[in-house]
Amino acid sequence: MKSRIAVIAILYIGLVCSVSMRSNQTYAQGKSAASANGPVVMPKITVLNPMGTPPPITLIPQAPRLNTLDGKTIYFINTGFIGTDRLMAVMSDWFKANYPKTNIVYKDNKGGAGLAELSKALWTEISEKGDAAIVGLGH
Amino acid sequence: MKKPAVPLILNDFEKQEKEVAYNLGMPGLRIQYFRGPVWGKTNEQLKKQIVEGSNPITGKPAMPELVELLTKPLTAEEQRTGEVKQDLGPKTYTGTPDELQKLFLKKRYTDFLPVVLPTEDKVAEMMKFTSHQPTEILGKMNPGSEAGEAWSYTVKEAAVSAVMAGAQPEYFPVILALGSTGMTAVNVSDNGFMAGAVINGKIRDEIGLNYEEGAVGPYAQANTTIGRAWSLLSINGGNCGKVGTTYMGTIGNPMNLIGIIIAENEQKSPFKPLAVRRGFKEGENVVTLFMGWGILSAKNWAATVWGPNMNYPEIIKEIYDTQDGHLFGTCAVLSPPIANFVKDAGYDTVEKFTEWVTGQLPGAKPAARGMEINSGVRRSGGMFTVIVTGGSNNNYFSMGGMVPSMSVQIDKWR
Repeated sequence: MKSRIAVIAILYIGLVCSVSMRSNQTYAQGKSAASANGPVVMPKITVLNPMGTPPPITLIPQAPRLNTLDGKTIYFINTGFIGTDRLMAVMSDWFKANYPKTNIVYKDNKGGAGLAELSKALWTEISEKGDAAIVGLGH
Repeated sequence: MKKPAVPLILNDFEKQEKEVAYNLGMPGLRIQYFRGPVWGKTNEQLKKQIVEGSNPITGKPAMPELVELLTKPLTAEEQRTGEVKQDLGPKTYTGTPDELQKLFLKKRYTDFLPVVLPTEDKVAEMMKFTSHQPTEILGKMNPGSEAGEAWSYTVKEAAVSAVMAGAQPEYFPVILALGSTGMTAVNVSDNGFMAGAVINGKIRDEIGLNYEEGAVGPYAQANTTIGRAWSLLSINGGNCGKVGTTYMGTIGNPMNLIGIIIAENEQKSPFKPLAVRRGFKEGENVVTLFMGWGILSAKNWAATVWGPNMNYPEIIKEIYDTQDGHLFGTCAVLSPPIANFVKDAGYDTVEKFTEWVTGQLPGAKPAARGMEINSGVRRSGGMFTVIVTGGSNNNYFSMGGMVPSMSVQIDKWR
Protein backbone atom coordinates (compact mmCIF):
# COMPACT_ATOMS: atom_id res chain seq x y z
CA MET A 1 0.00 0.00 0.00
CA LYS A 2 2.78 2.36 1.07
CA SER A 3 4.67 1.70 -2.14
CA ARG A 4 1.54 2.46 -4.23
CA ILE A 5 1.10 5.76 -2.42
CA ALA A 6 4.76 6.55 -3.02
CA VAL A 7 4.42 5.77 -6.73
CA ILE A 8 1.29 7.96 -6.97
CA ALA A 9 3.10 10.75 -5.13
CA ILE A 10 6.07 10.56 -7.49
CA LEU A 11 3.78 10.55 -10.51
CA TYR A 12 1.93 13.57 -9.11
CA ILE A 13 5.14 15.48 -8.52
CA GLY A 14 6.27 14.56 -12.00
CA LEU A 15 2.98 15.84 -13.39
CA VAL A 16 3.28 19.15 -11.55
CA CYS A 17 6.87 19.59 -12.70
CA SER A 18 5.85 18.69 -16.21
CA VAL A 19 3.07 21.27 -16.20
CA SER A 20 5.47 23.84 -14.82
CA MET A 21 8.12 23.07 -17.43
CA ARG A 22 5.57 23.07 -20.21
CA SER A 23 4.35 26.39 -18.94
CA ASN A 24 7.88 27.77 -19.18
CA GLN A 25 8.32 26.25 -22.61
CA THR A 26 5.06 27.83 -23.72
CA TYR A 27 6.33 31.18 -22.45
CA ALA A 28 9.61 30.69 -24.24
CA GLN A 29 7.87 29.57 -27.38
CA GLY A 30 5.60 32.57 -27.14
CA LYS A 31 8.63 34.85 -27.15
CA SER A 32 10.33 33.00 -29.94
CA ALA A 33 7.04 32.93 -31.81
CA ALA A 34 7.01 36.66 -31.61
CA SER A 35 10.59 36.63 -32.83
CA ALA A 36 9.61 34.31 -35.62
CA ASN A 37 7.35 37.05 -36.95
CA GLY A 38 10.39 39.30 -37.22
CA PRO A 39 13.11 40.60 -34.92
CA VAL A 40 11.98 42.29 -31.72
CA VAL A 41 12.35 45.97 -32.45
CA MET A 42 13.41 48.10 -29.53
CA PRO A 43 11.99 51.59 -29.69
CA LYS A 44 14.50 54.28 -30.53
CA ILE A 45 14.98 57.19 -28.20
CA THR A 46 16.82 60.47 -28.48
CA VAL A 47 19.32 61.45 -25.82
CA LEU A 48 21.49 64.49 -25.20
CA ASN A 49 25.21 64.76 -25.80
CA PRO A 50 26.71 65.29 -22.31
CA MET A 51 29.86 67.11 -23.39
CA GLY A 52 30.75 70.60 -22.25
CA THR A 53 32.36 73.19 -24.45
CA PRO A 54 36.10 73.41 -24.98
CA PRO A 55 37.59 76.84 -25.56
CA PRO A 56 38.38 77.81 -29.14
CA ILE A 57 41.96 77.04 -30.05
CA THR A 58 44.02 79.87 -31.49
CA LEU A 59 47.07 78.50 -33.23
CA ILE A 60 50.35 79.97 -32.03
CA PRO A 61 53.31 79.73 -34.42
CA GLN A 62 56.50 78.49 -32.83
CA ALA A 63 59.41 80.88 -32.50
CA PRO A 64 61.99 80.76 -35.32
CA ARG A 65 64.85 78.36 -34.67
CA LEU A 66 68.51 79.31 -34.28
CA ASN A 67 71.00 78.98 -37.14
CA THR A 68 73.69 77.89 -34.74
CA LEU A 69 74.24 77.44 -31.03
CA ASP A 70 77.69 79.04 -31.17
CA GLY A 71 77.76 82.30 -29.28
CA LYS A 72 74.17 81.83 -28.11
CA THR A 73 72.82 81.84 -24.58
CA ILE A 74 70.59 78.93 -23.66
CA TYR A 75 68.57 79.02 -20.47
CA PHE A 76 68.09 75.73 -18.68
CA ILE A 77 64.89 76.14 -16.67
CA ASN A 78 64.21 73.75 -13.84
CA THR A 79 60.46 73.92 -13.21
CA GLY A 80 60.93 72.41 -9.79
CA PHE A 81 59.86 68.79 -10.03
CA ILE A 82 62.06 66.45 -8.05
CA GLY A 83 65.15 65.26 -9.91
CA THR A 84 65.09 67.91 -12.61
CA ASP A 85 68.04 69.75 -11.08
CA ARG A 86 70.25 66.70 -11.52
CA LEU A 87 69.00 66.12 -15.06
CA MET A 88 69.71 69.75 -15.95
CA ALA A 89 73.20 69.47 -14.47
CA VAL A 90 74.20 66.48 -16.60
CA MET A 91 72.63 68.02 -19.70
CA SER A 92 74.50 71.27 -19.08
CA ASP A 93 77.74 69.28 -18.84
CA TRP A 94 77.02 67.69 -22.22
CA PHE A 95 76.46 71.11 -23.82
CA LYS A 96 79.64 72.51 -22.27
CA ALA A 97 81.63 69.58 -23.66
CA ASN A 98 80.03 69.53 -27.13
CA TYR A 99 79.18 73.20 -27.64
CA PRO A 100 81.91 75.09 -25.75
CA LYS A 101 80.99 78.35 -27.47
CA THR A 102 77.42 78.19 -26.11
CA ASN A 103 76.64 80.03 -22.90
CA ILE A 104 74.50 77.99 -20.50
CA VAL A 105 72.46 79.75 -17.83
CA TYR A 106 70.74 77.56 -15.23
CA LYS A 107 67.66 78.83 -13.42
CA ASP A 108 65.85 77.12 -10.58
CA ASN A 109 62.15 77.52 -9.97
CA LYS A 110 61.87 78.69 -6.41
CA GLY A 111 58.10 79.16 -6.46
CA GLY A 112 56.97 75.56 -6.63
CA ALA A 113 56.71 72.74 -9.13
CA GLY A 114 55.42 73.17 -12.64
CA LEU A 115 55.49 75.42 -15.63
CA ALA A 116 52.66 77.56 -14.30
CA GLU A 117 54.73 78.40 -11.24
CA LEU A 118 57.50 80.10 -13.20
CA SER A 119 57.67 83.81 -12.53
CA LYS A 120 56.98 86.50 -15.10
CA ALA A 121 60.34 88.02 -14.25
CA LEU A 122 62.08 84.85 -15.35
CA TRP A 123 60.24 84.77 -18.67
CA THR A 124 61.17 88.42 -19.19
CA GLU A 125 64.81 87.68 -18.42
CA ILE A 126 64.90 84.81 -20.93
CA SER A 127 63.24 87.04 -23.49
CA GLU A 128 65.78 89.83 -22.98
CA LYS A 129 68.98 87.94 -22.34
CA GLY A 130 68.49 84.47 -23.78
CA ASP A 131 68.46 83.04 -27.29
CA ALA A 132 66.66 79.81 -26.45
CA ALA A 133 65.36 77.82 -23.51
CA ILE A 134 65.21 74.20 -22.46
CA VAL A 135 62.48 73.74 -19.91
CA GLY A 136 62.70 70.70 -17.71
CA LEU A 137 59.54 69.05 -16.48
CA GLY A 138 60.98 65.79 -15.25
CA HIS A 139 59.45 63.87 -12.39
CA MET B 1 58.81 85.16 -25.14
CA LYS B 2 59.33 84.60 -28.89
CA LYS B 3 62.49 82.59 -28.35
CA PRO B 4 62.83 78.94 -29.35
CA ALA B 5 62.14 76.64 -26.45
CA VAL B 6 62.03 72.89 -26.03
CA PRO B 7 60.27 71.21 -23.12
CA LEU B 8 61.75 68.00 -21.72
CA ILE B 9 59.01 65.47 -21.07
CA LEU B 10 58.90 61.84 -19.94
CA ASN B 11 57.83 59.64 -22.83
CA ASP B 12 54.96 58.24 -20.73
CA PHE B 13 53.34 61.67 -20.96
CA GLU B 14 53.59 61.92 -24.77
CA LYS B 15 49.86 61.47 -25.46
CA GLN B 16 48.94 63.91 -22.72
CA GLU B 17 51.45 66.55 -23.74
CA LYS B 18 50.42 66.40 -27.37
CA GLU B 19 46.82 67.00 -26.33
CA VAL B 20 47.81 69.83 -23.98
CA ALA B 21 49.96 71.43 -26.68
CA TYR B 22 47.07 71.10 -29.14
CA ASN B 23 44.64 72.70 -26.70
CA LEU B 24 47.09 75.54 -26.13
CA GLY B 25 47.31 76.22 -29.86
CA MET B 26 50.63 74.51 -30.60
CA PRO B 27 49.70 71.13 -32.09
CA GLY B 28 53.19 70.54 -33.48
CA LEU B 29 55.12 71.77 -30.47
CA ARG B 30 58.67 70.45 -30.51
CA ILE B 31 59.12 68.34 -27.41
CA GLN B 32 62.12 66.24 -26.40
CA TYR B 33 61.04 63.00 -24.77
CA PHE B 34 63.17 60.86 -22.51
CA ARG B 35 62.66 57.80 -20.40
CA GLY B 36 61.83 58.52 -16.79
CA PRO B 37 61.31 58.83 -14.01
CA VAL B 38 64.33 60.95 -13.10
CA TRP B 39 63.36 61.23 -9.46
CA GLY B 40 65.70 59.25 -7.24
CA LYS B 41 68.41 58.68 -9.84
CA THR B 42 72.03 59.73 -9.45
CA ASN B 43 73.76 62.09 -11.88
CA GLU B 44 75.69 59.12 -13.25
CA GLN B 45 72.49 57.17 -13.89
CA LEU B 46 70.89 60.18 -15.57
CA LYS B 47 73.95 60.71 -17.74
CA LYS B 48 74.02 57.10 -18.88
CA GLN B 49 70.27 56.62 -19.32
CA ILE B 50 69.23 59.98 -20.72
CA VAL B 51 72.15 62.12 -21.91
CA GLU B 52 73.95 59.19 -23.55
CA GLY B 53 70.68 57.42 -24.33
CA SER B 54 68.03 57.80 -26.98
CA ASN B 55 64.62 59.32 -27.27
CA PRO B 56 62.45 56.25 -26.57
CA ILE B 57 59.87 57.41 -29.10
CA THR B 58 62.04 58.32 -32.10
CA GLY B 59 64.98 56.09 -31.24
CA LYS B 60 67.39 58.93 -32.06
CA PRO B 61 70.30 59.85 -29.76
CA ALA B 62 68.74 62.25 -27.26
CA MET B 63 71.15 65.18 -27.09
CA PRO B 64 71.88 65.66 -30.80
CA GLU B 65 68.13 65.45 -31.36
CA LEU B 66 67.61 68.13 -28.73
CA VAL B 67 70.03 70.41 -30.58
CA GLU B 68 68.15 69.69 -33.80
CA LEU B 69 64.85 70.73 -32.19
CA LEU B 70 66.43 74.10 -31.39
CA THR B 71 68.10 74.63 -34.75
CA LYS B 72 66.18 72.85 -37.53
CA PRO B 73 64.07 75.41 -39.45
CA LEU B 74 60.34 75.35 -38.78
CA THR B 75 57.97 73.71 -41.23
CA ALA B 76 54.98 75.56 -42.64
CA GLU B 77 52.71 73.54 -40.34
CA GLU B 78 54.70 74.65 -37.30
CA GLN B 79 54.18 78.29 -38.29
CA ARG B 80 50.46 77.97 -39.03
CA THR B 81 48.10 80.53 -37.51
CA GLY B 82 44.32 80.72 -37.31
CA GLU B 83 41.63 79.14 -35.18
CA VAL B 84 40.65 75.52 -34.71
CA LYS B 85 37.27 74.36 -33.46
CA GLN B 86 36.93 71.01 -31.77
CA ASP B 87 34.11 68.81 -33.02
CA LEU B 88 32.33 67.23 -30.07
CA GLY B 89 29.65 65.56 -32.14
CA PRO B 90 25.93 66.28 -32.55
CA LYS B 91 23.81 67.72 -29.76
CA THR B 92 21.65 64.60 -29.66
CA TYR B 93 21.93 60.94 -30.53
CA THR B 94 19.09 58.64 -31.55
CA GLY B 95 19.10 54.87 -31.20
CA THR B 96 17.86 51.98 -29.14
CA PRO B 97 18.84 52.01 -25.46
CA ASP B 98 21.38 49.24 -26.08
CA GLU B 99 22.90 51.10 -28.99
CA LEU B 100 23.11 54.31 -27.01
CA GLN B 101 24.72 52.63 -24.00
CA LYS B 102 27.37 51.23 -26.33
CA LEU B 103 27.79 54.60 -28.04
CA PHE B 104 28.25 56.41 -24.71
CA LEU B 105 30.80 53.82 -23.68
CA LYS B 106 32.67 54.11 -26.98
CA LYS B 107 32.71 57.90 -26.83
CA ARG B 108 33.91 57.72 -23.24
CA TYR B 109 30.99 59.70 -21.87
CA THR B 110 30.75 57.29 -18.97
CA ASP B 111 32.75 55.93 -16.04
CA PHE B 112 32.49 52.48 -17.71
CA LEU B 113 29.37 51.65 -15.74
CA PRO B 114 25.93 51.74 -17.39
CA VAL B 115 24.24 55.10 -17.17
CA VAL B 116 20.68 56.36 -17.13
CA LEU B 117 20.25 57.61 -20.68
CA PRO B 118 19.70 61.37 -20.63
CA THR B 119 16.50 61.94 -22.59
CA GLU B 120 15.12 65.44 -22.87
CA ASP B 121 12.26 64.46 -20.52
CA LYS B 122 14.55 63.20 -17.77
CA VAL B 123 16.77 66.25 -18.06
CA ALA B 124 13.68 68.49 -17.89
CA GLU B 125 12.65 66.72 -14.66
CA MET B 126 16.07 67.51 -13.22
CA MET B 127 15.81 71.12 -14.32
CA LYS B 128 12.58 71.56 -12.31
CA PHE B 129 14.68 71.65 -9.16
CA THR B 130 16.56 74.79 -10.09
CA SER B 131 15.46 78.27 -11.05
CA HIS B 132 18.59 78.78 -13.13
CA GLN B 133 18.40 78.89 -16.89
CA PRO B 134 19.51 75.81 -18.84
CA THR B 135 21.96 77.81 -20.92
CA GLU B 136 23.61 79.54 -17.95
CA ILE B 137 27.32 78.77 -17.75
CA LEU B 138 27.65 76.87 -14.49
CA GLY B 139 31.40 76.66 -14.35
CA LYS B 140 34.73 76.06 -16.00
CA MET B 141 36.91 73.09 -15.28
CA ASN B 142 40.08 71.39 -16.38
CA PRO B 143 41.72 68.23 -15.10
CA GLY B 144 44.52 70.09 -13.32
CA SER B 145 46.38 73.34 -13.34
CA GLU B 146 48.67 72.45 -16.25
CA ALA B 147 46.37 70.20 -18.22
CA GLY B 148 45.21 72.75 -20.76
CA GLU B 149 42.56 75.42 -20.98
CA ALA B 150 39.38 74.96 -18.97
CA TRP B 151 36.21 73.73 -20.61
CA SER B 152 32.90 75.33 -19.73
CA TYR B 153 29.56 73.67 -19.06
CA THR B 154 26.00 74.85 -18.65
CA VAL B 155 23.36 74.14 -16.04
CA LYS B 156 21.63 71.86 -18.54
CA GLU B 157 24.83 69.92 -19.22
CA ALA B 158 25.17 69.41 -15.48
CA ALA B 159 21.59 68.10 -15.49
CA VAL B 160 22.59 65.62 -18.19
CA SER B 161 25.40 64.29 -16.02
CA ALA B 162 23.05 64.18 -13.02
CA VAL B 163 20.55 62.08 -14.97
CA MET B 164 23.30 59.78 -16.23
CA ALA B 165 24.51 59.27 -12.64
CA GLY B 166 21.07 58.15 -11.50
CA ALA B 167 20.56 61.15 -9.25
CA GLN B 168 17.08 62.08 -8.08
CA PRO B 169 15.99 65.55 -9.26
CA GLU B 170 15.86 66.86 -5.70
CA TYR B 171 19.63 66.31 -5.43
CA PHE B 172 20.26 68.68 -8.31
CA PRO B 173 20.98 71.88 -6.32
CA VAL B 174 23.81 70.07 -4.53
CA ILE B 175 25.22 68.88 -7.86
CA LEU B 176 25.00 72.40 -9.24
CA ALA B 177 26.78 73.78 -6.17
CA LEU B 178 29.59 71.28 -6.74
CA GLY B 179 29.77 72.08 -10.44
CA SER B 180 29.78 75.81 -9.80
CA THR B 181 33.14 75.55 -8.04
CA GLY B 182 34.99 74.37 -11.15
CA MET B 183 36.89 71.87 -9.02
CA THR B 184 37.27 68.51 -10.70
CA ALA B 185 36.41 65.30 -8.96
CA VAL B 186 38.98 63.55 -11.19
CA ASN B 187 42.38 65.19 -11.03
CA VAL B 188 45.01 64.58 -13.71
CA SER B 189 47.89 64.31 -11.24
CA ASP B 190 50.19 61.32 -11.35
CA ASN B 191 49.86 61.33 -7.56
CA GLY B 192 46.28 60.12 -7.91
CA PHE B 193 44.45 62.79 -5.95
CA MET B 194 40.85 62.24 -4.92
CA ALA B 195 38.13 64.79 -4.31
CA GLY B 196 35.40 64.85 -1.74
CA ALA B 197 32.76 67.13 -0.32
CA VAL B 198 31.22 67.62 3.09
CA ILE B 199 27.60 68.69 3.22
CA ASN B 200 26.09 70.59 6.10
CA GLY B 201 22.62 71.93 6.73
CA LYS B 202 19.02 70.83 6.64
CA ILE B 203 19.29 69.59 3.09
CA ARG B 204 21.00 66.48 4.44
CA ASP B 205 17.63 65.27 5.73
CA GLU B 206 15.58 66.76 2.91
CA ILE B 207 17.29 64.63 0.28
CA GLY B 208 18.17 61.62 2.43
CA LEU B 209 21.93 61.85 2.67
CA ASN B 210 23.32 59.15 4.90
CA TYR B 211 25.27 60.34 7.91
CA GLU B 212 24.69 57.33 10.17
CA GLU B 213 26.24 53.84 9.85
CA GLY B 214 28.14 53.50 6.59
CA ALA B 215 28.15 57.27 6.10
CA VAL B 216 31.25 57.39 3.93
CA GLY B 217 30.54 54.04 2.33
CA PRO B 218 28.89 53.83 -1.06
CA TYR B 219 25.51 52.39 -0.10
CA ALA B 220 23.28 55.44 0.05
CA GLN B 221 21.54 56.71 -3.06
CA ALA B 222 21.94 60.42 -2.43
CA ASN B 223 25.61 60.28 -1.39
CA THR B 224 26.58 57.95 -4.20
CA THR B 225 24.69 59.47 -7.10
CA ILE B 226 25.65 63.04 -6.18
CA GLY B 227 29.29 61.96 -6.10
CA ARG B 228 28.89 60.10 -9.39
CA ALA B 229 27.21 63.11 -11.01
CA TRP B 230 30.17 65.25 -9.96
CA SER B 231 32.59 62.73 -11.46
CA LEU B 232 30.59 62.43 -14.71
CA LEU B 233 30.38 66.21 -14.97
CA SER B 234 34.16 66.28 -14.54
CA ILE B 235 34.55 63.74 -17.35
CA ASN B 236 32.13 65.37 -19.78
CA GLY B 237 32.11 69.01 -18.74
CA GLY B 238 35.77 69.30 -17.77
CA ASN B 239 37.45 66.79 -20.09
CA CYS B 240 38.78 64.82 -17.13
CA GLY B 241 39.37 61.15 -16.49
CA LYS B 242 40.82 60.06 -19.83
CA VAL B 243 43.67 57.66 -19.10
CA GLY B 244 46.82 58.72 -20.93
CA THR B 245 45.78 62.33 -21.46
CA THR B 246 43.75 63.81 -18.63
CA TYR B 247 44.09 61.05 -16.04
CA MET B 248 47.72 60.29 -15.32
CA GLY B 249 47.65 58.72 -11.86
CA THR B 250 50.63 56.39 -11.76
CA ILE B 251 48.60 53.82 -9.86
CA GLY B 252 45.31 55.75 -9.91
CA ASN B 253 42.85 56.20 -7.08
CA PRO B 254 39.58 54.23 -6.79
CA MET B 255 37.97 57.21 -5.07
CA ASN B 256 37.98 59.00 -8.45
CA LEU B 257 35.13 56.78 -9.64
CA ILE B 258 32.65 58.53 -7.38
CA GLY B 259 33.44 61.78 -5.62
CA ILE B 260 33.23 61.09 -1.88
CA ILE B 261 30.17 62.83 -0.45
CA ILE B 262 30.13 63.08 3.33
CA ALA B 263 27.19 64.48 5.26
CA GLU B 264 28.12 65.51 8.77
CA ASN B 265 26.13 63.96 11.58
CA GLU B 266 25.24 67.34 13.02
CA GLN B 267 22.54 65.90 15.28
CA LYS B 268 24.97 63.71 17.21
CA SER B 269 28.12 65.78 16.94
CA PRO B 270 29.18 67.65 20.07
CA PHE B 271 30.88 70.25 17.87
CA LYS B 272 29.67 72.99 15.60
CA PRO B 273 29.25 71.81 12.02
CA LEU B 274 32.18 72.28 9.65
CA ALA B 275 30.31 74.93 7.63
CA VAL B 276 29.56 76.95 10.77
CA ARG B 277 33.22 76.78 11.75
CA ARG B 278 33.98 78.19 8.31
CA GLY B 279 31.70 81.19 8.78
CA PHE B 280 28.28 80.04 7.61
CA LYS B 281 25.07 80.18 9.63
CA GLU B 282 23.76 77.26 11.67
CA GLY B 283 21.47 75.16 9.48
CA GLU B 284 22.65 76.79 6.26
CA ASN B 285 23.00 74.37 3.37
CA VAL B 286 26.66 74.37 2.42
CA VAL B 287 29.02 72.09 0.55
CA THR B 288 32.74 72.20 1.39
CA LEU B 289 35.16 70.73 -1.10
CA PHE B 290 38.10 68.56 -0.14
CA MET B 291 41.08 67.23 -2.00
CA GLY B 292 43.78 64.79 -1.04
CA TRP B 293 44.86 61.20 -0.84
CA GLY B 294 41.65 59.95 0.69
CA ILE B 295 39.86 59.43 3.94
CA LEU B 296 41.68 56.33 5.11
CA SER B 297 45.25 55.68 6.12
CA ALA B 298 47.13 52.64 7.31
CA LYS B 299 47.33 54.18 10.76
CA ASN B 300 43.60 54.21 11.35
CA TRP B 301 42.24 53.29 14.76
CA ALA B 302 45.66 52.54 16.28
CA ALA B 303 44.55 48.94 16.66
CA THR B 304 47.73 48.03 18.50
CA VAL B 305 46.64 50.05 21.50
CA TRP B 306 43.20 48.50 21.86
CA GLY B 307 42.45 47.89 25.50
CA PRO B 308 39.85 48.39 28.21
CA ASN B 309 40.83 52.02 28.68
CA MET B 310 41.21 54.17 25.60
CA ASN B 311 42.60 57.68 25.43
CA TYR B 312 41.21 58.59 22.02
CA PRO B 313 42.42 62.22 21.92
CA GLU B 314 45.95 61.01 22.63
CA ILE B 315 45.68 58.31 19.95
CA ILE B 316 44.48 60.86 17.41
CA LYS B 317 47.34 63.15 18.31
CA GLU B 318 49.87 60.33 17.97
CA ILE B 319 48.54 59.41 14.55
CA TYR B 320 48.60 63.07 13.52
CA ASP B 321 52.24 63.35 14.57
CA THR B 322 53.23 60.49 12.29
CA GLN B 323 51.29 61.68 9.22
CA ASP B 324 53.03 63.44 6.39
CA GLY B 325 50.73 66.37 5.95
CA HIS B 326 52.90 68.35 3.60
CA LEU B 327 50.38 68.37 0.76
CA PHE B 328 47.01 67.59 2.25
CA GLY B 329 47.28 67.77 5.99
CA THR B 330 45.41 65.34 8.19
CA CYS B 331 41.67 64.89 8.18
CA ALA B 332 40.07 63.12 11.13
CA VAL B 333 36.67 61.63 10.35
CA LEU B 334 35.24 60.94 13.78
CA SER B 335 32.16 58.91 14.63
CA PRO B 336 29.91 60.62 17.20
CA PRO B 337 31.14 58.42 20.11
CA ILE B 338 34.77 59.36 19.37
CA ALA B 339 33.86 63.04 19.02
CA ASN B 340 32.20 62.83 22.43
CA PHE B 341 35.28 61.21 23.94
CA VAL B 342 37.23 64.21 22.64
CA LYS B 343 34.71 66.63 24.13
CA ASP B 344 34.66 64.79 27.48
CA ALA B 345 38.46 65.06 27.59
CA GLY B 346 38.06 68.82 27.81
CA TYR B 347 38.12 69.84 24.16
CA ASP B 348 34.64 71.22 23.75
CA THR B 349 35.39 72.89 20.44
CA VAL B 350 37.22 71.71 17.35
CA GLU B 351 39.42 74.77 17.61
CA LYS B 352 40.66 73.79 21.10
CA PHE B 353 41.23 70.22 19.99
CA THR B 354 43.10 71.41 16.90
CA GLU B 355 45.36 73.66 18.93
CA TRP B 356 46.26 70.77 21.19
CA VAL B 357 46.71 68.18 18.43
CA THR B 358 48.78 70.35 16.13
CA GLY B 359 50.67 72.26 18.75
CA GLN B 360 49.78 75.51 17.09
CA LEU B 361 49.72 78.56 19.26
CA PRO B 362 46.30 79.96 20.18
CA GLY B 363 45.41 82.69 17.76
CA ALA B 364 48.03 81.61 15.24
CA LYS B 365 47.77 83.49 12.01
CA PRO B 366 45.82 81.47 9.45
CA ALA B 367 47.51 80.58 6.21
CA ALA B 368 46.52 82.62 3.19
CA ARG B 369 44.15 80.04 1.77
CA GLY B 370 40.73 81.62 1.84
CA MET B 371 38.53 80.28 4.55
CA GLU B 372 40.76 77.62 5.97
CA ILE B 373 40.89 78.12 9.68
CA ASN B 374 42.86 75.21 11.05
CA SER B 375 46.20 76.58 9.94
CA GLY B 376 49.37 77.83 11.54
CA VAL B 377 50.50 74.31 12.25
CA ARG B 378 54.02 73.30 13.10
CA ARG B 379 53.82 69.52 13.39
CA SER B 380 54.23 66.91 10.68
CA GLY B 381 50.55 66.22 10.14
CA GLY B 382 50.04 69.66 8.66
CA MET B 383 46.62 71.22 8.56
CA PHE B 384 44.19 69.38 10.84
CA THR B 385 40.53 69.08 9.93
CA VAL B 386 37.76 67.39 11.87
CA ILE B 387 34.58 65.96 10.35
CA VAL B 388 31.97 64.17 12.47
CA THR B 389 29.84 61.57 10.75
CA GLY B 390 28.75 57.96 10.94
CA GLY B 391 26.92 55.77 13.40
CA SER B 392 27.26 55.19 17.11
CA ASN B 393 27.58 51.42 16.99
CA ASN B 394 31.26 51.46 17.95
CA ASN B 395 34.24 53.66 18.73
CA TYR B 396 35.76 54.03 15.30
CA PHE B 397 37.28 56.87 13.39
CA SER B 398 39.44 57.41 10.35
CA MET B 399 42.50 59.56 9.75
CA GLY B 400 43.25 60.39 6.14
CA GLY B 401 44.92 63.08 4.08
CA MET B 402 42.38 65.61 2.84
CA VAL B 403 42.43 69.34 2.93
CA PRO B 404 39.38 71.59 2.60
CA SER B 405 39.26 74.23 -0.08
CA MET B 406 36.23 76.38 -0.81
CA SER B 407 32.78 76.22 0.74
CA VAL B 408 29.73 77.23 -1.30
CA GLN B 409 26.05 77.74 -0.54
CA ILE B 410 23.66 75.20 -1.99
CA ASP B 411 20.40 77.15 -1.82
CA LYS B 412 21.43 79.68 -4.43
CA TRP B 413 21.25 76.81 -6.91
CA ARG B 414 17.64 75.92 -6.11
